[in-house]
Amino acid sequence: MTVGDNRTRIDAHGKVTGEADYPADLPAEGALHGKVVFSGQAHARMVAMDTSAALADPEVVAVFTAADVPVNEYGLTMFDQPVLVGLNATGIADVASDVSRWEADQIAFVVAESAEAAERGAAALEVEWEQLPAVADIDHALRDEVRVHPESGDSNAYYTYRIRKGDMEAGWAEADVIVEDTYVVPHQEHAYLQPEAGIGYIDSEGRITVKVAGQWTYEELGQILHALDLTEDKVRVVYTAIGGAFGGREDMSVQIVLALAAWKLSQQGETRPIHTVWSREESVVGHHKRHRGRIHAKWGATKDGRITAVESVGYLDAGAYNYTTNKVLGNMHLTVGGAYEIPNAHIDSHGVYTNTVPGGAFRGFGAPQGAFVAESQMNKLAEKLGIDPVELRLRNTLQEGSIGITQVELPAGVSMPEVIAGCRDRSEWGTRPAQVSDLKVFESLPSATDRTRTGRGFACSYKNVGFSFGFPERCDARVEMYGDDEIERVVLHHGGADVGQGAHTAFLQMLAEAAGVDIERVEGVFSDTGSSGDSGSASASRLSWMAGNSILGASEEAAKAWLDGDRPAVGEFRFVPPATETLDPDTGVGQPNFAYGYVAEAVDLAVDIDTGHISIGSVVCSTDVGRAINPTLIEGQVEGAVVQAHGYAISENLQVVDGHILNPRFSGYLIPGILDIPDEVDSHILEIPDPRGPFGVRGMAEMPFIPYAAAVVAALHDATGVWFNEFPLTPSRVLAGLQAAGFSAAG
Amino acid sequence: MMYTAPVTVDEACQLLASNSAAKVFAGATDLLPQAQAGRRLEDVLVDLKRIPRLMNLEVDDQGWTIGAAASAARLAEHSQLRSEYPGLVEAVALIGSDQIQNRASLGGNLCNASPAADSGPSMVVNEARAVIVSTAGFRTIPIADLVRGPGETSLEPGEFVAEFQLDRPAARRADAYLRFTPRTEMDIAVVGAAARVAVDDAGRCTDAAVVLGAVAPTTVRVGGIAEELVGSTFDEEALARCAALSSEACRPIDDKRGTKEFRRHIAGVLTTRVLRLAAERASEQR
Repeated sequence: MTVGDNRTRIDAHGKVTGEADYPADLPAEGALHGKVVFSGQAHARMVAMDTSAALADPEVVAVFTAADVPVNEYGLTMFDQPVLVGLNATGIADVASDVSRWEADQIAFVVAESAEAAERGAAALEVEWEQLPAVADIDHALRDEVRVHPESGDSNAYYTYRIRKGDMEAGWAEADVIVEDTYVVPHQEHAYLQPEAGIGYIDSEGRITVKVAGQWTYEELGQILHALDLTEDKVRVVYTAIGGAFGGREDMSVQIVLALAAWKLSQQGETRPIHTVWSREESVVGHHKRHRGRIHAKWGATKDGRITAVESVGYLDAGAYNYTTNKVLGNMHLTVGGAYEIPNAHIDSHGVYTNTVPGGAFRGFGAPQGAFVAESQMNKLAEKLGIDPVELRLRNTLQEGSIGITQVELPAGVSMPEVIAGCRDRSEWGTRPAQVSDLKVFESLPSATDRTRTGRGFACSYKNVGFSFGFPERCDARVEMYGDDEIERVVLHHGGADVGQGAHTAFLQMLAEAAGVDIERVEGVFSDTGSSGDSGSASASRLSWMAGNSILGASEEAAKAWLDGDRPAVGEFRFVPPATETLDPDTGVGQPNFAYGYVAEAVDLAVDIDTGHISIGSVVCSTDVGRAINPTLIEGQVEGAVVQAHGYAISENLQVVDGHILNPRFSGYLIPGILDIPDEVDSHILEIPDPRGPFGVRGMAEMPFIPYAAAVVAALHDATGVWFNEFPLTPSRVLAGLQAAGFSAAG
Repeated sequence: MMYTAPVTVDEACQLLASNSAAKVFAGATDLLPQAQAGRRLEDVLVDLKRIPRLMNLEVDDQGWTIGAAASAARLAEHSQLRSEYPGLVEAVALIGSDQIQNRASLGGNLCNASPAADSGPSMVVNEARAVIVSTAGFRTIPIADLVRGPGETSLEPGEFVAEFQLDRPAARRADAYLRFTPRTEMDIAVVGAAARVAVDDAGRCTDAAVVLGAVAPTTVRVGGIAEELVGSTFDEEALARCAALSSEACRPIDDKRGTKEFRRHIAGVLTTRVLRLAAERASEQR
């Protein structure tokens, strides 16, 4: 068996030794250097831009502006953003090109002989702006005094989902208790190791070629083709090694300007490649974030613990452009009622434009925000009802055959009850209280035992696997079998991106298993639109599920050809999962997804009541992966997700004031260090097969992130009796909450 | 920009005297990030680490002499320094990562004059002295007079700190340093607190002092600590009064690392904890 083995990652050697090329490492010899220039303006109209001083620099080769972009618009799901903000745009874009709606709107791409000269050229640009009032946050946006996108509808709240299910009056009448609160969720920065970078050049077949690190080659290809108004045979997108993504590479950064520069310069006979590398500050300022938002929730339940009604109104800050807000919002909408059977529901979820950094894809894709609300509500209901929070969940959980919040049956293979019970048992929930002696207190500032409180918390969640809401989901694979009498070598061509999660290793394990050959005989050619088909993105926990199914299909096709005597035997296959639906705009009725993942977490916490420092001891993460193709890689995903969620819940505190990020460096944006992360993460891998998954696989990469913040808040409540409806749980926030609740400061 | 690395104190003094655009540095752990953040570097950078006297670390009956450019790692690994000034060594060991520890120096940490510098409170509470040198010769000042405000020292043009001096501590005397950061490591103090405590045979306080960092433009020596504690056994009530004195003595600012109120509160918490820690250490020396 190859599936189920802890194979060493195929990219491990190159990454450990430094041989692997990331985009920043690509050959700089003889290359030109590009500098993306940000507007620095949260909201302003460009009045004039003078590039002559920059172009007068003998080492500056070219300055590309809005006037150079044939179709000056882009966007993954709506073309609402100019490629370059500026004047004299001749393209056909609907969105005004001369307005900067965000401090990192790109206004120019300066190409020069050296990185220093490109910096000089950028500094020499003379730009005149007419200031416009900046829409700083959701409240400001909802007043609609200033419109971020006047071309789009009649409000900054530009996208809405609704659910109308059952009879709310009956639901409230039935309820013995009601829990109602407003929750505030923060931005989060992806903080991947490798900032945005890439190289643009003309390849040997004359194609404009962009080598970058992204999540979906064909999407980037499509965006370039649209902006440059070119056909598919003219452009090629290739991925190098990718230094983390987490959703942060789903939208464009350097792709379009690199293609633009390579194309335009080649027309002038300049064929040197153009290389560009963003600094950390540029990366933090220049790409989208996990959405911040505010959600009001009111839930009712009977005294025996049956949920009777869920009402919720939520807002996510889309920032200046849609990016994937409409999809993220949909996911928040589906998860804000939790993984429970809800008879009566009234849920409104709004996406709101502001002049801040766009919200977009980030591991969990709306579910962390939704789950924080749902699980906090559930834990408060449990307290109010005097019912154990795990027991309360089991009484309401979605199960096989359940009708979901969108009033259709969930896809088969609902394992939420088993996952909740699995986490309960694994964590010895209810039998083992958290002990101070088991928990380290904050290491660099020791606390006395009598100033430390401890607690345990529980939360669970579910999230879709694969694209939702009727998006045309598919995944291509091509398998070639070489040999005479026996299969000596099997080659996979696949577009699925290995963003660091180990996807390519899992692909080859599944291929070896499917083809019935030793893993040493399989190899892969990945992520090149010149040779691989469209596999969709590395996102939505979908790759193992989708790619696995495509590989199974292509391998079967190749095996047939092999039996027919073809040498090499080639199989091409496009896997298409069951269709999903857009939700009814008024009632939310519809089948949004074809598969789900399920997860539960129990967390042990210690808090220093004088400083507000939180330490997390043990985290038990029970996650149903359907079938573990490579258990070690799954543990890596669980531990990584928990650590990333730990930063989200406790320390990462992006400060955005009047549209400007105040802490774009890691000295001020505090991702957890090795001494901050939980003492122990128990990756409790459940294997309850997804009936449609390849080998039973479920998607899992996002799941362990999702319930963490709610579990930590529940543990903090268990420790102190105080609920926190907003995070990150920085020491100052925790201390303020404790003091407001009457904790006295013992000196 | 010119890099130069003199090997004697005299040579370095001459370089500074002859070039007003010269600046000394040791580990460059502040200089490089500042340059990366866009600050223009001085025309002449004088590396002090090749000068043996500035890398010196020695102790005799008179006291300690610590070269201004000696690395933090070297101080942290010196077992006798650790046993005589555990708080100072704690403070120095908190600066940056392991890699930074091998570059950073006391001289750099103090002369960068950040209000949040970890070594400041410990050096002041232990009444260290700075030996300053220029072509005009040597002069020695109390460490509390070295830093005047954020980024500003009392050094005159052409001067640099050659070394620091500390007395040998008396018996039953010890120091301690604690700092508050949101993150456990690799972070900058929101509040730092150093304490020095002396006790008698019965564990009663005979002397005590607290100096705070990151709560004002310079380190703050909290007044009235000795008056509250001398004669006490560091009981809760006395410590609580000391905490209140510290909160009161702060002159903090609101910034993205913390509010004024939060800093005042934490200064009090740290005062209690750091005095208790120093008192335990002093008593153990009996």
